Amino acid sequence: MKIVAITTCPTGIAHTYMAAEQLEKAARTLGHQIKVETQGAMGIENRLTSQDIQAAEVVLFAAAIEIEEQERFDGKKMVKIGIQEAIKDPVAVLQRITH
Amino acid sequence: MIEALKNLRQHLLTGVSYAIPFIACGGIMIAAGIAFVPMGVDGPEFSNAPIPKLINDIGSAAFKLLLPVLAGYIAYAIAGRPGLVPGFIGGYLSGDIHAGFLGAIFIGLIAGWIVNQIKLIPVPKYIKPIMPILIIPIVSSTIVGVLMLKVLGMPIASLMSGLGEWLKGMQTGNAVVLAMVLGAMIAFDMGGPVNKAAFFFGSALIEQEQYSVMGACAAAICTPPLGMGLASLLRRQLWKEEEREAGIAALTMGMIGITEGAIPFAAADPVRVIPCIMLGSMVASTIAMLGGVGDHAPHGGPIVLPVVDHRLMYIVAIIAGTLVTALAITFLKSLKKSTAIEDHP
Repeated sequence: MKIVAITTCPTGIAHTYMAAEQLEKAARTLGHQIKVETQGAMGIENRLTSQDIQAAEVVLFAAAIEIEEQERFDGKKMVKIGIQEAIKDPVAVLQRITH
Repeated sequence: MIEALKNLRQHLLTGVSYAIPFIACGGIMIAAGIAFVPMGVDGPEFSNAPIPKLINDIGSAAFKLLLPVLAGYIAYAIAGRPGLVPGFIGGYLSGDIHAGFLGAIFIGLIAGWIVNQIKLIPVPKYIKPIMPILIIPIVSSTIVGVLMLKVLGMPIASLMSGLGEWLKGMQTGNAVVLAMVLGAMIAFDMGGPVNKAAFFFGSALIEQEQYSVMGACAAAICTPPLGMGLASLLRRQLWKEEEREAGIAALTMGMIGITEGAIPFAAADPVRVIPCIMLGSMVASTIAMLGGVGDHAPHGGPIVLPVVDHRLMYIVAIIAGTLVTALAITFLKSLKKSTAIEDHP
């Protein structure tokens, strides 16, 4: 399944990137395709393009603060979770949202 | 109710996330400017030092913007773009009347809420385009400004100066209690909301020229990863292969003040790890507080040593906290090991 995700945390230097890495790893294990945009202290990195978003079947937000440019996802299936959840048990998160 | 609190937390943290780089820039540049000039009776003496003065002035500018940015982005998190104007104005006024970060947080929340209420008012079609550029900014800023200058500002300002006086004149007993609470909070969720609450309290006080709270936090921030990293080196057989690897990463993260380095350990064995890292951080923060350690940057760990006051005590605090964490977890892990052997002979 194709998934796009955004991770973001208050300081934007550790959790954001740890969550992104965990989600990518879990997606590989489960055989899903994922692209993760990080919204850390550097701003938006690995930006999701409109093609990415269009192709995705589900949008995952792992966030402790507001997501920037959320209007890009209007009309998509969106799931919001806490950032800790994505770090602690990314496999369970992906299994749940791809069900 | 829980949902509302979660949203509130998210709004506050959004504001904080935009404010942190301003605290870093202001705190470090002012500390760097002051470090190179003699101390006069009314503070640092800049008359013969144009370059330190320049650096100091740039840092001061960052601090002047801090409260508007904090309040502005809290309001932005609540109400989107129209929240920025009343938020920034409310934060600016909060600085003006010395209501500090408490005033800014408060007025940011109110500004966002007010904008959302105005958005709900039904207006005729021909007025709609001027709502976001004219009506909302003016009406919301008027309400925010009157609240700040005439109603809420004064009580919050006296609360802030009370807090400042209390911190300045704090007796040893209170200082120890405060340091222990901060240390426990810093370690408890390793970068999560509880940690951020303590961290932001310390950071925001830098702008009020109170450096000791951040000093205590700074020592506590790095001991969880440093302690766990050290423990993974002490008795290798107690740890799984991936934990040993995480140990090296944890040491590096500890050196640069990233508490999150302890997460892999805490996730694998929270019941043992979290009490140990809390204990270690409490030791570190208490020693730092009693040793008069001050930190001018909103960050912790050995990496901020150049902008720390009483550096020797800072190092002592970090080493002590790291050792306590490492020894405590090694002890608890060995207990588990021996009971496990008894269970399965």
